[in-house]
Amino acid sequence: MTTLDIHHVRVTHRGTPLVEVSDLSLEAGRAFTIVGESGSGKSLLAHAVMGTLAAGLAVEGAMSLDGRRIDLADPGNRRALWGRELALLPQEPASALDPTMRVGAQVAEGMLEQTPRRERLALAEAALAGVGLAGRGRDYPHTLSGGMAQRVTYAAATIGGARVLLLDEPSKGLDRRAVDQLGDLLDRHLADGGLLLTITHDLRLASRLGGTVAVMREAAIIESGPVDRVLGDPQADYTRRLVGADPARWDRPWQRAGVVPERSAPPLVVATDVGKSYGDAVVLDAVSLEVGAGERVALVGPSGSGKTTLGNALLRLVPVDRGTVTHAAELSGGRVQKLYQDPALSFPAHVPLGAGIGDVARRHGVDPGRVDELLVAMGLAPELMQRRPGQVSGGELQRIAVVRAMLPAPALVFADEATSRLDLLTQELTVDCLMTELAARDCALLMITHDEALAEAVADRRIALGKAGSREKTAVPS
Amino acid sequence: MGLVSAVSGNRLPGVLVRRAAQGVGVALVVSALCFVVVRALPGDAAYRIAAGRYGYDLVDAAAADAVRAELGLDRPAWQQYAEWVLALFRLDLGESLVTSRPVVDELGLYLVGTLQLSVLALALAALIGGGLGVVAARRPDGAVDRLVTGWIAAVRALPPFLLGLLLVLLLSIQLGWLPAVGHEGAASIVLPALTLGIGLSGLFARVTRDAVVEVRRSDYVRFAATKGLSGRVVLLRHVLRNTGVVLVPYLGVQAVTLVEGVVVVESLFAWPGLGHALVHAVFWRDVPVLQASALVLALLVVALNTLVDVTVLWLDPRPRGRRAVA
Amino acid sequence: MSTAVMSELSGATVEPARSWTPSRVVAGAGLAVLVAFAVVGPLVLADPHAQDLARFLEPPSLAEPLGRDDYGRSVVSRLAHATRLSLVLGAVCVLTALVLGTATGILAGWVGGWVDAVLRGLSEAFVAIPALLVVLLVSAMAPEGSLLTLYVGLALVQWVEYFRVVRARAALVLGTPAVEAAGLLRLGRWHVLRRHLWPELRPVLLTLASLGMVTSILAMSTLGFVKVGLQPPRAELGLMTTEAFPFYDAAPWLALAPVSVLFLLTACLLGLRPKEVAR
Repeated sequence: MTTLDIHHVRVTHRGTPLVEVSDLSLEAGRAFTIVGESGSGKSLLAHAVMGTLAAGLAVEGAMSLDGRRIDLADPGNRRALWGRELALLPQEPASALDPTMRVGAQVAEGMLEQTPRRERLALAEAALAGVGLAGRGRDYPHTLSGGMAQRVTYAAATIGGARVLLLDEPSKGLDRRAVDQLGDLLDRHLADGGLLLTITHDLRLASRLGGTVAVMREAAIIESGPVDRVLGDPQADYTRRLVGADPARWDRPWQRAGVVPERSAPPLVVATDVGKSYGDAVVLDAVSLEVGAGERVALVGPSGSGKTTLGNALLRLVPVDRGTVTHAAELSGGRVQKLYQDPALSFPAHVPLGAGIGDVARRHGVDPGRVDELLVAMGLAPELMQRRPGQVSGGELQRIAVVRAMLPAPALVFADEATSRLDLLTQELTVDCLMTELAARDCALLMITHDEALAEAVADRRIALGKAGSREKTAVPS
Repeated sequence: MGLVSAVSGNRLPGVLVRRAAQGVGVALVVSALCFVVVRALPGDAAYRIAAGRYGYDLVDAAAADAVRAELGLDRPAWQQYAEWVLALFRLDLGESLVTSRPVVDELGLYLVGTLQLSVLALALAALIGGGLGVVAARRPDGAVDRLVTGWIAAVRALPPFLLGLLLVLLLSIQLGWLPAVGHEGAASIVLPALTLGIGLSGLFARVTRDAVVEVRRSDYVRFAATKGLSGRVVLLRHVLRNTGVVLVPYLGVQAVTLVEGVVVVESLFAWPGLGHALVHAVFWRDVPVLQASALVLALLVVALNTLVDVTVLWLDPRPRGRRAVA
Repeated sequence: MSTAVMSELSGATVEPARSWTPSRVVAGAGLAVLVAFAVVGPLVLADPHAQDLARFLEPPSLAEPLGRDDYGRSVVSRLAHATRLSLVLGAVCVLTALVLGTATGILAGWVGGWVDAVLRGLSEAFVAIPALLVVLLVSAMAPEGSLLTLYVGLALVQWVEYFRVVRARAALVLGTPAVEAAGLLRLGRWHVLRRHLWPELRPVLLTLASLGMVTSILAMSTLGFVKVGLQPPRAELGLMTTEAFPFYDAAPWLALAPVSVLFLLTACLLGLRPKEVAR
């Protein structure tokens, strides 16, 4: 039975240790998952094993694969193993596929050159069928969704017969359904006697895969063991916080589980029979809904269901083809605000944050002292204001975006997947900051998320959008 | 990824229509410019043409009047212009005011000359520039890369006429390897083509280098390597093709530079081509030849760009300007 | 671990510091010397048109650092005048094209609709026409050696480039979430112009302007060289090269002087460009 043991891995950058891990053992048929926040060094560990670390990083340590000892310091010694014994599923599957080549040929490439071309292509078609993509071999990557692209990379990485499969943040940017499909593939890989090392910040994926889990923080593993034990009864304080950051476990003063206050005021936004198409693709089909003052509404649904388009239509940022969207008078003069999925793109890139925020404060007559108060309330150092958007972390920037959105005293805030790119702990902090402010002002929230648990924790009601961009269900109180 | 809006189907007709529209626009702008030029011609065009035909010493007022009447230069300008545009549709480009031969005949000859020169120059540029670019990209910021960067800068700062002069001095006058001017024998094309090719090779090298470096860093090339492909297969199958996708559109940009170079280099080496004809026509105020050669040169740019567009369509399956819908 | 280290690790290119690299310092210094020569030279040196046939092809000396040409005119004085002409005409052309192209580009990107369509159609036609062609045609209409036609021709050709680049960038910037957010925050057009568009356009315009200077200077001298631009006896770099060519053997300094100035001017202007930010 294949085994992989990793001994004393140390990755350093100009003397700074980024990874310091003593011993890890992978067994066939049992998943090994490393969880932790970005910057903990977990991705570097996977790349150190694979031999694909960026130049400029020094590696020490060794691993033994089936008893063969391999020195990790020499990246070249694993090239011969790539595809045959070691395979890596890359982070962004969509960009890991050659845009100018049909996917079937890209899968077929993973096989040995000796096999005749026709045979390889036939095997590649079979491999694609095995991941639920039968008959898609002649398609180009740009016609695939993110989940499909990932399954193509899975087929391409494993067709060479590699038993050891490394995954680097496989659930990034995918909706639940796509992650579940991936989970099924990985289960099969394990059942066939494969080895699996998964790097993720997604605790639900870790639980789904089972086996062993290790928690990594600041270059080191702080806790490891069977998944049920580590995530069900965490010993380390950090693990406890990490587990507690799951929205399903939140308990915050601003949450109003099921108790929705009665209101008589007319709704802020009324959409009637809204339709929208891009070219031939119908994105929204006769959607009607209302958002009341102070109400918290979540739009949920899989990728491609038109959530963002609907949100933008409700804010009147995109014109609709059919139907009407009306706003109440309270929303005029900048009292509708939006938080974006990538906060870095929502600030002017070359301007210090303070200058941009200053413009907003002046425009809406907000005292500069009030801005500082808000920053402090969100746990942000005022010095951050001298930096540019690219120089602060995503979590900090999203909280600065919250501060900015609060300055015009909004009546409605639209959060478009505003925390989907953040780590769990950062998400918890950001949502807490946002909701505390909204609750204090009785401001309405329209949120888009593919995370059902988050929608449940935050919203008064959820609206699910179906595949065709129409409402599947109406007003499901949570 | 969201849905991709349906720009599917055959994209070729769209490209051809767009380029055809551009061609018409180019023809209109060039002919309008020429019209203004005719209206504003300094001095007496007829006098000048007569001088071109008979030599300055033999021209008097009577000879100029004869030329004027013969060529219809005394009619209103709009008549001449309308006539020319109409004639253009019949592919009748008129006769040279200087040699009295049909412009079409002369143009054909010049076009062949220009095409010979351009094709050879482009091939040289691709060979020199592309080669240097690929070599430089092997180790970014290495010694070779720096040398190539120096080459690119030097070539960029050297205008074609200076480069041509230098080559003449070196290869023709000092070493006596090649004839300097004229159109005799196969060797006479070498110097003009080399001048043009070296001039173009700089940008070629830079774009190739940057494209190869970027493609080599891309996720799909790294993933291809971890699939177990050898370095050579990755280069041939993934790097070169994707570099082409980036590089080929630059050829379209180069077309303008190429035509400018053609004008200068042909004049410098007295190579019988469109550029040479154009400069002569400007000097002698030979309006039909001027209009026709300018038009053909400008349309050459459009033709090259059309070729580039079609090649890109073939290389890159992705629709342009696609819109992802979340 | 800091985010800076992370981005370095993931292979992302870190935005280069906007500092003065050694090569830019050298280029800037070289340009400053050339500008000083062009400004001060014509004031203190002899008349560039004063002929003295007795001093035909006089070699360089202390009094005449670059010798005298085939009419016995002072080469250093002619060079100073030619350099000034190149720099001034180049700068005026670039400024005109920049203002015109940027204004129309922002207009087209912002207003859209038929304004955009008309301007884009015009630029599509212009972009396919080689600059030299337009300048040749325009210069054909004027009495020989008219500076005005040269200026009009060069500016006419170059505005298109500014227009196209600015329009494309402006459309991109105006479509970003940042500008959408500014709209929701009711910050107004001035804010968008100052905080979003200008910082994005400034480095591009600087690069284009230095390239445009090179294009103008080279086009001018090329026209002079093929004898359809400025006419003798004006001191112009291209003309001086042509005139000196027959004497390259007897008086190499004659050709070397304008050629080196031309080369230095273009090299310094190219070297001065800000390094384009990756992407």
